[in-house]
Amino acid sequence: MLTEQLLSIGVNHFLTISVILFALGMFAVMTRKNAIVILMGVELILNAANINFLTFSKYNGGMEGVMFSLFVIVLAAAEAAVALAIVINIFKTFKTVDVSSVDTLKE
Amino acid sequence: MMHSLIQLSIAVLLLPLLSFVVLIFFNRRLPRGGDFVGLGLLGTSLAISLYIFWNVIVQHYDPAFSVAWNFTWLDFGNVPGVGPLQIKMGIVIDNLTAIMLAMVNLISFLVHLYSTGYMHGEKYYGRFFAYLGIFTFSMFGIVLSDNLFSIYIFWELVGLSSYLLIGFYFHKDSAADAQKKAFLTNRIGDIGMWLGILILYSQFHTFGYQEIFDHIKNGDFHMSQAWLTAAGVLLFMGCVGKSAQFPLHVWLPDAMEGPTPVSALIHAATMVAAGVYFVGRIFVILTPDALHVIAFIGAFTAFMAATIAITQHDIKRVLAYSTVSQLGYMVLGLGVGAYSAALFHLLTHAFFKACLFLGSGAIIHAMHHEQDMRWMGGLYKKMPWTFATFMTATLALAGLPLTSGFLSKDAILAGALGFASVEGGGIFYLIPALGFGAAVLTAFYMGRQIWLVFFGESRTHLKPAEEHGHDAHAAHGHDDHHHEVHEVAWNMRLPLVVLATLSVFIVFSPDPLDGGKGWFMHLIQTPATVVASTGAAHEGAGLHVPEAGKLLAEAHTDTQHVEAAASHEAEGHGPVFADPRQAEIAHMTHENHYTAIKLSSIMVVIGIGMALIFYVFRFIDPDKTAQAIRPLYLYSFNKWYWDEIYDATFIKGSILISKILAWFDTNIVDGIVNGVATIFRKFAFANGSFDKYVVDGLVNFTAFTVQTTGAVFRKVQTGKVQTYLVMVVVAVLGYFAFYLVHLMK
Repeated sequence: MLTEQLLSIGVNHFLTISVILFALGMFAVMTRKNAIVILMGVELILNAANINFLTFSKYNGGMEGVMFSLFVIVLAAAEAAVALAIVINIFKTFKTVDVSSVDTLKE
Repeated sequence: MMHSLIQLSIAVLLLPLLSFVVLIFFNRRLPRGGDFVGLGLLGTSLAISLYIFWNVIVQHYDPAFSVAWNFTWLDFGNVPGVGPLQIKMGIVIDNLTAIMLAMVNLISFLVHLYSTGYMHGEKYYGRFFAYLGIFTFSMFGIVLSDNLFSIYIFWELVGLSSYLLIGFYFHKDSAADAQKKAFLTNRIGDIGMWLGILILYSQFHTFGYQEIFDHIKNGDFHMSQAWLTAAGVLLFMGCVGKSAQFPLHVWLPDAMEGPTPVSALIHAATMVAAGVYFVGRIFVILTPDALHVIAFIGAFTAFMAATIAITQHDIKRVLAYSTVSQLGYMVLGLGVGAYSAALFHLLTHAFFKACLFLGSGAIIHAMHHEQDMRWMGGLYKKMPWTFATFMTATLALAGLPLTSGFLSKDAILAGALGFASVEGGGIFYLIPALGFGAAVLTAFYMGRQIWLVFFGESRTHLKPAEEHGHDAHAAHGHDDHHHEVHEVAWNMRLPLVVLATLSVFIVFSPDPLDGGKGWFMHLIQTPATVVASTGAAHEGAGLHVPEAGKLLAEAHTDTQHVEAAASHEAEGHGPVFADPRQAEIAHMTHENHYTAIKLSSIMVVIGIGMALIFYVFRFIDPDKTAQAIRPLYLYSFNKWYWDEIYDATFIKGSILISKILAWFDTNIVDGIVNGVATIFRKFAFANGSFDKYVVDGLVNFTAFTVQTTGAVFRKVQTGKVQTYLVMVVVAVLGYFAFYLVHLMK
């Protein structure tokens, strides 16, 4: 029963979670003012993508998705490092991590 | 390979130029104003000239002697519209050149020597010698030239040096005016001469004498004979200007404003003779019509100038008009075909007229710059040397037997008589008549001059006081007002003696009555004309002209003529001519020789007799006679009113034309220019408005549009990354929405 229940969990469930996760991440990135929170949003988006990879990998039977999600995790780690460095630099320059007040791109 | 004579003649040519260059730059730094430089260089060139003379005249003694050399000076290649244009420079030495070279150089040297005395104490003493140098250089250039182009160059140089020397006392207005008058009058003649040169050049594409003669001889002149006549008359215009022939004679008497040595060198012996020399050079291309023009102008000038000379008071002016008159004789001689006689007269006249001018200079010098013969008199005792030489030269000028002037003048008059009889009498007898008339007048005015200057009582005290004061003031370097007249120093006497010696018949001919027996007439023979005689020459005759001319000559020649020609040849009186007209004139000239001697002797006697009657014995009082024929006297005294006539016609006319042209310029030409300017201004204004409102408007509108659009879109650029991200997301979602809508259709 539980197994059936578990087995009844299909592709759509995974994808739904992925979409929710992506939307949350996107929302965070778009609306939060704190740069750290934005980074967290980015992590959510990356993990939503990972779930997609794994889902399709499971239901297609290949290992490519698993491998790709591993790469994404590594990449996310690297990205976090670089992004934090950027955030630190932004802080050093503007004395804030509020991205809404960092608008020198318009100049 | 240059002939040694050519090399020597180049040295002769360049030495006076060197003298000019040295003296014009350094005369103030050299002792004695550098006169010894001029004298030394001229002396050197005189030695060379005399060697050339010795070599050519004495050693060769050949009528046909000629050495020529030339080089290409400028090569313009094939000029479009002109053809091949090459300008050559060259030297030709024949008998005439050698004689002229020696004559010019000798007189120039003597004038240099004389000037060391005459010009002593002048402010610009050194400059005077520099000018004499460049004059002598240019004169040598004229004599040595072998083509029309280079003679034209030297011709202008001579004009320039004449200008400088006439205006030597440039601080005097009269001298400054005289130099301008001389230069401008000469220019009129020179323009004609240049046109004549261009006519010949347009036909033959060469300036060389010999080449032009050969071309004409070969019948290469493809225009009508009238053009050849025109070319001859135009070339003769150069002579009219330079040799002071009517109607351009007016400058020469005024040129007496120059220092007297200059008058002797330039305005008596050399430069004015250049015109005659030039016509002699181109003699062979002159057509009979051109020769008639020349003969009439010469005869008229000879007579007209002689009538003026009889009433002038200024000693130099009398001599100046006498020079014009004698130049008229030479031109007359050339016109009637008495080529060798004319050039002979040129030579003899150069010596005795230079002597007369230098003599008058000595008198003026001794009289402390008194030039008016009315206040002279009784000088023969005080100045015996001057008197003797002046007398000799006067007799030569009057044409008394035993003098050189007699030989040459008689030859010209014989030629004129021969010419008149060949041309068929009538109006042509006017030419010898005027010639003989001038001979009478010459003897008369020279007798008058001799008497007024040398004989009688001294009339210095008769001079009106105010005139006197003015003149004394004008005298240079003679502040001591002592009026003791004395003989001049040796450096002024020697030239007189040399020139007077050269005025004696024995220098030129062993026979005092016939110059034809002398060396000159042997060496300078009338060259055969290269123009085909009138009958055969017409347009298109082409190459056949010479043959036709010869045929005509044979046809024309009757037996008597042949005999005459033969006897002519036997007596050694020049060549037999192929041209019938020339042959006829030569024959008749010979026939008329003794008539001319008799007539001219009678004329001289009449002239001197009249002078004696009027001035020596005073049978008739000259002043009363002048009163009796006052209109005639005034006509002569005022020089036939030529200056006034020219002033009223040409000068006033030029001024009037200038005024009309000035009016035309200010009103019409300027009006057109201003009108065009106004139109352009209006057009430019319209153009400017278009630029301002339309073009600028478009530009500004574009800028405005861009600016507005930019202002709108700038709002989008917030600089906040999140805004951009929202836009990206909206765009992607929009794309998906569009895709889904599309898919559902």
